[in-house]
Amino acid sequence: MVLEATMICVDNSEWMRNGDYSPSRFQVQADAVSLVCGAKTQSNPENTVGILTMAGKGVRVLATPTSDLGKILSCMHGLEMGGEMNLAAGILIAQLALKHRQNKNQQQRIIVFAGSPIKHEKKALEIIGKKLKKNSVALDIVDFGEEEDGKPEKLEALLASVNNNDASHIVHVPPSQNALSDVLISTPVFTGDGEGGSGFAATTAAAAAGGVSDFDFGVDPNIDPELALALRVSMEEERARQEAAAKKAAEEASSQEKGEDAQPQSDSQNATSTATEKVSDPMDEDDLLKEALALSMNIPGSDSSAGDAQMSEASNDDQELALALQMSMQDGSKESSAPSDVSKVLGDQSFMSSIISSLPGVDPNDPNVKNLLASLPGQSESQQKKDEDEKPKDEK
Amino acid sequence: MSAAESATAIQRNQVDLLDFIDWSGVECLNQSSSHSLSNALKQGYREDEGLNLESDADEQLLIYIPFTRVIKLHSIVVTGSEEDGPKMVKLFTNREHMGFSNVSDFPPSDTAILSPDNLKGKPLVLKYVKFQNVRSLTIFIEDNQSGSEITKVQKIALYGSTVETTDMKGLKKIEDHNH
Repeated sequence: MVLEATMICVDNSEWMRNGDYSPSRFQVQADAVSLVCGAKTQSNPENTVGILTMAGKGVRVLATPTSDLGKILSCMHGLEMGGEMNLAAGILIAQLALKHRQNKNQQQRIIVFAGSPIKHEKKALEIIGKKLKKNSVALDIVDFGEEEDGKPEKLEALLASVNNNDASHIVHVPPSQNALSDVLISTPVFTGDGEGGSGFAATTAAAAAGGVSDFDFGVDPNIDPELALALRVSMEEERARQEAAAKKAAEEASSQEKGEDAQPQSDSQNATSTATEKVSDPMDEDDLLKEALALSMNIPGSDSSAGDAQMSEASNDDQELALALQMSMQDGSKESSAPSDVSKVLGDQSFMSSIISSLPGVDPNDPNVKNLLASLPGQSESQQKKDEDEKPKDEK
Repeated sequence: MSAAESATAIQRNQVDLLDFIDWSGVECLNQSSSHSLSNALKQGYREDEGLNLESDADEQLLIYIPFTRVIKLHSIVVTGSEEDGPKMVKLFTNREHMGFSNVSDFPPSDTAILSPDNLKGKPLVLKYVKFQNVRSLTIFIEDNQSGSEITKVQKIALYGSTVETTDMKGLKKIEDHNH
């Protein structure tokens, strides 16, 4: 998690048209650049990355060090190939760009993609390396593309003159079926000396290569056990939540088929939702009792269509309800518990009002009853529901 | 001009400013990793003759020392060997994050050429007026006595006093004294 400002030197010379890395050298380089940018910005949000091209008409800085990943990636679009790479000038200008970084507390690093032959002498490169070391700039070299006699030696000499405490690295990538970025992932260029980058590296390895990742969530339990544990727990919670939601959806779908009246339909939806609410609550004996009560209310019959609708729904959904009950019993332990199950049921006004209205000798319009209902929890919206319930009653 | 090696160096109230160095911000460019700045600055290390600050890629060194409070710098002691010890030393005040490329961008607060006496421990008295309000000090060691590739510094000690923020009268007095 080192705070770092990085300048990436991209080789956009004619040599990049070659297809010995599929699809083309330039394309694999672009992929590698975007991966490096992602790795850097992810390992520390304050990291900045900049890009410059070394070939073309001359060295051109496409982006000064910025933490805006989108801007960096868009720079790689529409890049044209041509000309010859000027390694020395590229590195020196990268150093200059780093010198003028906004946050002086950032460590300086240059990543060079050297794909074409190097026309500089070893001595000249060593002098550049010394200058970088003197100004405490680290250098990563990716040696790919054109293979030329003496190129690896020159680059190794450059690395040796820059290297301070193994802060700088070199990677030689021969042409092969594997993409450049896949090879880079396992190298210190990505892993940043083995520390914070390895989590990101593991994730990208799983995603990019589509290959076998030993870790469930792309996070190494050895490196970050708390994160791995948190991820696993949240996965399980999400699974349980989704099961409950699926149940709800299934019940609502089935109840919508049966409920045809407009009013009762809304009530039935309420009823179903209350039914499923009851179902999804951890079932205890009070709830079961209420369930039994609701079912039994259906038998004497009520003068409330709302009550009817609700009770009929309950009876029609009886079998599904029982099944759902069973399932939720098993899941009960995983679900978050409702504050007070009984009070929640009491707070379900549609249910409550239907019960009360079906009780002989109780008039829901009686102010006493109204007051009583008002004192129950969940009043404001339940008043509305109660009025809804009363309308169909009045109609009847 | 260069600081005069005055025999009438004012020593009163000058303390070793080691306690006021903000160690979290201390930096040194071009130092060798095995021979770092701590060898020259820290109590105990700097007295040890075997432990030196050495330069790495070439003979120049750029040392940045911030302080925890505003200080007045009176004199410095830089010791080293006769061959590899520093020669031309430039001091900059209150400039953060200097690099080798911008040492020539502005004039130093003081410049000194160390003599063999200095290298043995004789304090180098500075132009006190230029170091009245110092939050950070940058020491640029430009070359060494023999012109060799590596400059070795055995000890760097800073002497001065802190600025008492309420003591305006005291500040005035000292300035008058120097004039």
